[in-house]
Amino acid sequence: MKQLKLRFRVLTLLVIGLLFVAGAYGVYSVSAYGNRWVSSTRNTRYRSAKRSVSPGDIIDRNGVTVATTDENGQRVYQSNILSRSSLVHLLGDDEGNIANGVESFQANYLLGFETSLTERVNAFLKGETRKGDSIAITADSKLHTEIVQIFRNTSNTKGKCGAVAVMNYKTGEVLALVSLPVYDPQNITATIKNSTQHPFWNRAVQSTLPPGSTFKIITAVAMLENMADAQTHVFNCTGATQVMDQVITDYGNDQHGEITLEKAFRLSCNNCFAQAALLMGDSALRKTAENFGFNDNFLFRDLVVENSSYPTKDRNNFEIAWSGAGQSKVAATPLHLCMISAAIANDGVMMEPRLLSRVQSPAGVVRLRYSQKAYRTACSPETAKIIDGYMKTVVKSGTGTRAKVDGLTIAGKTGSAEGSANGLDVTHAWFTGYIDDDRYPYAVSVLVEAGGTGGSVAAPVAQKIFEYLRDNAAVY
Amino acid sequence: MSKRSRRAEMQAARRARARADRERRRDPARALVSAMMLFYFSAFLLIALQGEIQWQGFALAAAVPMMIYIATLWLPRFFPADKLLLAIANFLCALGVLVLYSTDRGAGTSRGMQQAMYYGIGIIAMLVCIMIVRYIRRWKFLMKVVMMGAAALMVLPLAIGTEQNGATNWIVIGGTSLQPSEVVKIALLLILGWYMSRHQFWPWFLFAGFSLLVLMLQKDLGTALIYYITTLLLFYASTGNLPLTGLGVIGGCGAAVVGYKMFAHVKKRVAIWRNPWIYYETSGYQIAQTLMAIASGGLFGVGLGLGAPRVIPVYFTDCIFAVICEQFGVIFGILVLAMYVILILRGTFIAQSSRHSFHAIMAMGATVMLGVQTFIIIGGVLKMIPLTGVTMPFVSYGGTSLVSCMGLIGLIQGVASVNQDDLTYDYEISRSLQEEMLLPEADR
Repeated sequence: MKQLKLRFRVLTLLVIGLLFVAGAYGVYSVSAYGNRWVSSTRNTRYRSAKRSVSPGDIIDRNGVTVATTDENGQRVYQSNILSRSSLVHLLGDDEGNIANGVESFQANYLLGFETSLTERVNAFLKGETRKGDSIAITADSKLHTEIVQIFRNTSNTKGKCGAVAVMNYKTGEVLALVSLPVYDPQNITATIKNSTQHPFWNRAVQSTLPPGSTFKIITAVAMLENMADAQTHVFNCTGATQVMDQVITDYGNDQHGEITLEKAFRLSCNNCFAQAALLMGDSALRKTAENFGFNDNFLFRDLVVENSSYPTKDRNNFEIAWSGAGQSKVAATPLHLCMISAAIANDGVMMEPRLLSRVQSPAGVVRLRYSQKAYRTACSPETAKIIDGYMKTVVKSGTGTRAKVDGLTIAGKTGSAEGSANGLDVTHAWFTGYIDDDRYPYAVSVLVEAGGTGGSVAAPVAQKIFEYLRDNAAVY
Repeated sequence: MSKRSRRAEMQAARRARARADRERRRDPARALVSAMMLFYFSAFLLIALQGEIQWQGFALAAAVPMMIYIATLWLPRFFPADKLLLAIANFLCALGVLVLYSTDRGAGTSRGMQQAMYYGIGIIAMLVCIMIVRYIRRWKFLMKVVMMGAAALMVLPLAIGTEQNGATNWIVIGGTSLQPSEVVKIALLLILGWYMSRHQFWPWFLFAGFSLLVLMLQKDLGTALIYYITTLLLFYASTGNLPLTGLGVIGGCGAAVVGYKMFAHVKKRVAIWRNPWIYYETSGYQIAQTLMAIASGGLFGVGLGLGAPRVIPVYFTDCIFAVICEQFGVIFGILVLAMYVILILRGTFIAQSSRHSFHAIMAMGATVMLGVQTFIIIGGVLKMIPLTGVTMPFVSYGGTSLVSCMGLIGLIQGVASVNQDDLTYDYEISRSLQEEMLLPEADR
């Protein structure tokens, strides 16, 4: 009987343990994912809440009101069509077509769900309609407009899909997050809804594509970390490295001969990086990629970003070799590539991208202020310094010369990624880089889908953005 | 006798009455139940006055606190009972009525009223179970009758059952539908307790195996899981045979794997569990809506009667926990979980204090069964484990489920009352022995 009762205690502990785990899991998942579930385009609750609350304003970093509610309770954006269109993916529209835009992801502030009871009672007694909190964001409306215009006015990028991310690499503030094509949030036509270019898709944070040669930043870091002679090792580029029964080729079937890492990085030599990937092995490269945030579950406070992936399954040598050059199921979003350059610029420390700078109640009480946080340490400052040098030579005399800007030191890396769209093989043009200058601590990434080579299509876009930042960044 | 002394006497009597009154009021159970009654009274009133005034709200505002009073404070006058256990079970039942009534507003359903009726029937079922445990002593023959009856009841849905949500576990008798597997739970615990305490293996093993088989045939996997885990855990408790218990665990896992491989709908359930959002348009809709509802409530909830609970499919049974979380907030949800934990702790305490191994095993079984069922449904709603269609004990809409849960509480309470009787008996014996000067007086 005594034994029996002792064992009862075991059963109780077991069952209570299960309930405890369930509770803990519930609390964890709601605190980690709750905001994402609530701001899902499928949640109809906020749409009904909008009927009783007047949503708060959204203000950009220069104090421009980019979204407000008029006296009829209608949500209105900037009066200029181009201005409001260029911000549409960042903010989202009133119909909730964009997943996790500021309008839905920060709805608990905008719709006043954080309002305290006394404030609610006060508003009720005064007979006012309840008003939500206003939000200040770190993004720059004018920069968004500029980027859309650059895309539209350049012959190489006109009419193409793409994305641009601009962030401050020292603080993590996101200045611009543009996805193209854009559309007018106050006039959503059937053409937009049925467009094969999927305008509702927020490419800057939602589309994961092979990063192509921009991934060589990470391969180079892995080489410096894993190969003692990385900087002096001589690779032999015949233009066609035999791996298994297939060959690794270079863009345009170039042959670079005997080259070292620095030159290979500058000329973006696939053969060299493929050989290096095989030398280091899959797991070493994967580890460095994971240090840079690949395969991590991004749970940023203000932004919902699709996870980037580096394959974890066993693969054959041909696939591993191509991973060294950012192909073969390696995938990342434009924002993540911007964060990768930003980490190199910031001595190896990757900042968490942030969008919310201040939340203010209708009565003027500041509920929340911007706070910066390092997301992770991607590599050592020494490694970052060496890569920084390589990236500068890319712009100075390598594949990225078309991103050069007078009076500034630009570092960058181009990429021409093999992908497919609608069943056809296409080349996505990439550029990721930054300004090495304390006055302009900005990192930029540009993606032009099916655009061609990164050096000729994406780099000129980045150049114009750098120039704009040089001429206007005094505002910040 | 002078006037003055009479007055003094009256005053003394009044003082004594007042003291007794104070003492009764100081009874913690009384304070707890008063708080519960006040909570439900105001909650029902609030909903009744929301928008168009409804008489049902007023009726419930009076009836539900009344039922709580009867079940937790009045009934225990007739037999000793564990008031905390009673209070928690009744709180949860009333919570079910409240949430169902609040979701009725504007939907044209009357689940709240029905659930209040079931709650009343549940109290009666609890009484019946208490009586069974207290007064039936000659089980030997009766247990065989129970076994036969339960087996027959179990098979009924296969013969004349109707299908609901993919499982054939309902029968309709005279217009009311009934889920036999819920009622058989009580019989299962009686059988397990009786034969396990007597170390007779085959009778309970055959019955449990038979019930499991029938549940599998009815495709009622959630209930089968509850039966299986309860039986296995009680087997471990009564014998302490770890190797065989381990074998049972392995067998259960094996059966789960076979089920996964064999049945397409099990595979689908697991796939939905792993990522409901990609199946949003079809089968993932329910769990996705559940998660959105829980998250939309935030810490403190959107408020009673507010929110959009009705967009969740089967919000009134399986997913009622999500509705509770949306309206009252995640913190309240956690507190509800804590109530189940206290319920389990009380149940274990009662089982451990029992002097008869039959009673001990039965009470423990009822406790474990309630705990496991709570875990299966709440874990499912929170997307921790795949969602299986079982009810949330005491809270979910459904007469049979509520009645059987109150029956389980009845079993535990019955055992508690027998424990108390045993203690009183001991006390009386020791006092009579003391009076005969056979025992030294206890130190004060």
